[in-house]
Amino acid sequence: MFPRTIGRAILLLSVEAFFFILFAAFMKTYDTGKVIAFLLFFIGVGVMFKKWNRGRLALTDLFKEMKIVAGVGFVLMLLTLPFIFQSSPYLIHICVMAGLFAILALGLNFQLGSTNVVNFATAASYGIGAYASALLAVHFHISFWLGLLVGGSLASLFGLLLGIPCMKTKDYYLSLVTIAFGLIVYILLVNFSWTGGPNGIPNIPPPSLFGHSFKDPLSLFGYQLPFQSNYYYLIFVLVGGSIFVAHRLHHSRVGLTWNAIREDEIAARCHGIDVTWYKILAFCIDAFFGGVAGTVYSHYIGFISPENFAFIVSVVVVTMVILGGMDNVFGVIIGAILLTILPEKFRAFEDFRVLIYGVIVVTMLMFRPQGLFPQKMRIYKRES
Amino acid sequence: MARLLETEKLTIRFGGLAAVNEVDFTIDRGEAIGLIGPNGSGKTTFFNLLTGIYKPTGGVIRYCGESLVGLPTFKIAKQGVARTFQNNRLFLNLTVLDNVLIGMHSHQDSTWFDAVFRRSYVEREVEQGVEKGLKLLSQFSQDLVKNCYQRAGDLPQADRRKVEICRALASNPRLLLLDEPSAGMTPAETDELMEDIRKVRQQIGGIGIIIIEHDMAVIREVAERVVVLNYGRKIAEGTFQAISNNELVLEAYLGREEQDAQA
Repeated sequence: MFPRTIGRAILLLSVEAFFFILFAAFMKTYDTGKVIAFLLFFIGVGVMFKKWNRGRLALTDLFKEMKIVAGVGFVLMLLTLPFIFQSSPYLIHICVMAGLFAILALGLNFQLGSTNVVNFATAASYGIGAYASALLAVHFHISFWLGLLVGGSLASLFGLLLGIPCMKTKDYYLSLVTIAFGLIVYILLVNFSWTGGPNGIPNIPPPSLFGHSFKDPLSLFGYQLPFQSNYYYLIFVLVGGSIFVAHRLHHSRVGLTWNAIREDEIAARCHGIDVTWYKILAFCIDAFFGGVAGTVYSHYIGFISPENFAFIVSVVVVTMVILGGMDNVFGVIIGAILLTILPEKFRAFEDFRVLIYGVIVVTMLMFRPQGLFPQKMRIYKRES
Repeated sequence: MARLLETEKLTIRFGGLAAVNEVDFTIDRGEAIGLIGPNGSGKTTFFNLLTGIYKPTGGVIRYCGESLVGLPTFKIAKQGVARTFQNNRLFLNLTVLDNVLIGMHSHQDSTWFDAVFRRSYVEREVEQGVEKGLKLLSQFSQDLVKNCYQRAGDLPQADRRKVEICRALASNPRLLLLDEPSAGMTPAETDELMEDIRKVRQQIGGIGIIIIEHDMAVIREVAERVVVLNYGRKIAEGTFQAISNNELVLEAYLGREEQDAQA
């Protein structure tokens, strides 16, 4: 039945390509009217997809059946984005930022989505990773790649320090403690002279790989891609790695235990679960992700200041997880992408950004607290 | 040989009120003991003391010779003390099978490091857990096995009880605490429950069971010995026959006859 398989593969790839091209076109529009038209179209497709049962089932079966083809096709299309956007480096920049926030959101998901620990200190771990690697690079010429590990580990240590007092507090009070820690980090960054104070740290050297500096344009297949493409591919690998880790943790005793803690902490304790340990583990892993993202950010933008790690950043990441889906890797990434790209497209409403985030959070929590893409039930494959 | 569990003068005071007041209690391996008393007599509080959810203000709890007082709940659970809850505390948004799998937590040991870097170890652990979980469920109801991926919150009450008991048994406990398992059940479901308890005692040799109940039919059928609490104090202990004729017990449940208002 070879021709039939090829036919179905082509159908699948065409569907993917169709949406990919639409996405690229959407990214290239700047006219607010056209942007809204695109959004309405996407929402319309989404609604139709939900209502049209036969089509939806047929499509999901198709994608499940040819998972590898779908995955490879999707990855290849993503890899061509810098080529498609090569005349608009700013669009590549947006994709890099979306990727960074995807990593932050995936990290926060371990706490907010899996364990229901509402952590408002993501910006702090983001900032510690950024500052640690920046200071090491500027003063001690430590390479970016080592900085990734150091930034992640130092942020993780911060996560541990934050987690310990949080274990004595519950629910809302725990969130207040995380808000306080986030503010403390911000204030320390502003006031310490060795962190550059309110002016931050300028001139952070860009990474280089095999002699190629990330500041230089990337030549691939005869094309000169803007320098942002270097970071795009780096982020692509890092997001892939984050998804890998998140997926493995979710589908293991650790992920299941986190969910148990979220559902009913007392019942979890009565079944031998050391709730304190697992919550602190979530804090540390979340912070590690934040630190890694921060390291990339500092070397990408080239200079950082405390303003980049203010409380509002934590709020944005929390909104991304709530919007996208609690404890759903795919959903969380969609949330990150939506809330990075849409504010760019609706520059006209810049002043209302914070208000809109608030509205999104309240609306989601009232009508769909599990997020756009709720957690999927774990199904175990059995040999028999 | 140390008794499975014993308490001596176990007390907990909330402010001025002693919810459990100097209760002596023993249970040996293989025994099934009923714990009864009017509402508010301290039965669930007693369970909460045993499982470390509350810390006693006086008295001792000894489990296989070791003191449990001051141990955190999860350590007590790891020692082999399992329980069900009066108002059913399943992990509602997770599947039936996941609920039972979580019960095995104490007997598994994969860490986050294993999850990320030693996948095969984790997969083997999951596989073994799934096998064991499905086998456990099948001993209670084939329906549950068929619907093992259903969301626990969508199950009817009787099935939720079964899943809770399965979850408690998944940890190979030596002591099982059942808190009003037949509440809200029809007579047919209650019969099934008694059959399930019989099966549990058969399959896990030496398991001790303490069962809080209001349905005397279950107590009569299941318990070899009955302990009666009233206002936190133990007022009677003995076989079901003995305590059902005990004056103090009858008074606790039914009240005292009013004295005639004669001069």
